[in-house]
Amino acid sequence: MRFDWVNILATVIFVSIVVTLILAVASYFAYKVREARRPKTASELRQEGKVKVFFNEYTPKG
Amino acid sequence: MDNNVPVTPPETEPKPTVKRPMRPMMQLLISIAIIAVVVIATVFLFKYPQKLGPIFITALVVTLASFLLLLILRHFILIWFSYLHQRELSQGEPPDVYPFVSIIVPAFNEAEVIQSSLSSLLELRYPYYEIIAVDDGSTDGTFERMREFEGNHYGVKVSVFRKENSGKADTLNYGIRRSKAPIVVCMDSDSRLTPDALRYAVRPFADPHVGAVAGNVKVINRHNIWTKLQALEYIEGLNIVRKAQAFWRSVNVIPGPIGIFRRTAIEATGGYDSDTFAEDFDMTVKILSAGWKINYEPKAVAFTEAPEVLLDIIKQRYRWSRGILQALRKQKHLLASTGGNITTPLSLWYMIFEGLVWPAMNIFSNLFFVWIALIYGMTKLLVMWWILLTILDLLIAIHAILMEREDIGLAIYAVFYRSFYILIIDVTKLFATLEELVGLDMSWGKLARKGRI
Repeated sequence: MRFDWVNILATVIFVSIVVTLILAVASYFAYKVREARRPKTASELRQEGKVKVFFNEYTPKG
Repeated sequence: MDNNVPVTPPETEPKPTVKRPMRPMMQLLISIAIIAVVVIATVFLFKYPQKLGPIFITALVVTLASFLLLLILRHFILIWFSYLHQRELSQGEPPDVYPFVSIIVPAFNEAEVIQSSLSSLLELRYPYYEIIAVDDGSTDGTFERMREFEGNHYGVKVSVFRKENSGKADTLNYGIRRSKAPIVVCMDSDSRLTPDALRYAVRPFADPHVGAVAGNVKVINRHNIWTKLQALEYIEGLNIVRKAQAFWRSVNVIPGPIGIFRRTAIEATGGYDSDTFAEDFDMTVKILSAGWKINYEPKAVAFTEAPEVLLDIIKQRYRWSRGILQALRKQKHLLASTGGNITTPLSLWYMIFEGLVWPAMNIFSNLFFVWIALIYGMTKLLVMWWILLTILDLLIAIHAILMEREDIGLAIYAVFYRSFYILIIDVTKLFATLEELVGLDMSWGKLARKGRI
């Protein structure tokens, strides 16, 4: 039996390119989902003006 | 300022912010329009290929041939100029005097690696230097670990400061303001300098026109396919691209892990800005536009910890891509600048080419080749194209590895480099570009360190 190496190699290249592109797009969206679910840091909350204040500084009047 | 005071007053400088250039409705409309155009074009191409006829085929072949020609030409030009820079270096003399150097180490939540990093700095073979470590309001005990190094270590003074969290750019400025040395080294806290790094790093400053020097960054944690591919990427990128740029004294990125600056150059540009996510690229452009030259020193080596999983690599490259675009947008007036130094606009256009044009061309050339092979049965063309590119990549990898005296075993990863690794990185770059163009919000994206250094 004689193998057609060109066709086999072309299939491997084709599959690897398509799978890599799918992997790349899927990984990118997975990264975006992970970032969206990540708890925000104090500095990010401060930037958005959503920082939780537990204690308000007392300033005497007069 | 008293070094023993653990917490310094909060900085009054603005926090890092990213401009929102468009309204949300406009962003949504542009995103829908882009997606619609791509979907319609794809459907049309696959449904009615015969209607496009020979003109389309000719256009495809010309596009792909241009891509291949450009690829080979790009490599040839870069290798030629990198060779010329290497020849210059081999004829260079060691410096007569070693200037006083301040090493600035900014750190935010780097408890895992900060002590290893500071230990490596105390082992440098350099006669006259100081270390200024600045904690950017960490919450994981980084400052306490830094404090253990505070004091005098056989002539090397280590100063430790703590400030409110305000970002890396602001932290570097904080450290630079507290140094008095004529040469300042800015590094990442997850980096490790080799013992002779400083001795070589100051060598290019013998030329009074040199305002900054980019060091040689290497990946230290090479134990899986992702980190090995990044190690190869750093070796090739630094040896070919940065050396070629250094021949023209206009290196376009001074890397975060090891950037060496003439103090007067930093002062002339006003220090690091906090309004982009690529403060090192932004600083590089400012120095070039101020008329200074930027060189590269391959023997000033810093080891850095590369991200070990795919999502962390995407996170890092996404931030780099958007940061570079933000800095380019900020300095866009320089793109058309014709007065004085021509290398600055050329350097910026090269960055646009590498950051925007090249990734798009790479993705579309891959898609086109697959499409041609599928529709027209040109399997031989596909195989020939892949073999030629792989041979080219292998030769370049071997050349760069031999020049750098690195592990030759890394060369085999060049086989997966273009059709696998770079394709993933280019897809991330393309998405990051689209998001930057429509002005989506982003955060710094701190990487979790494994403590490998």
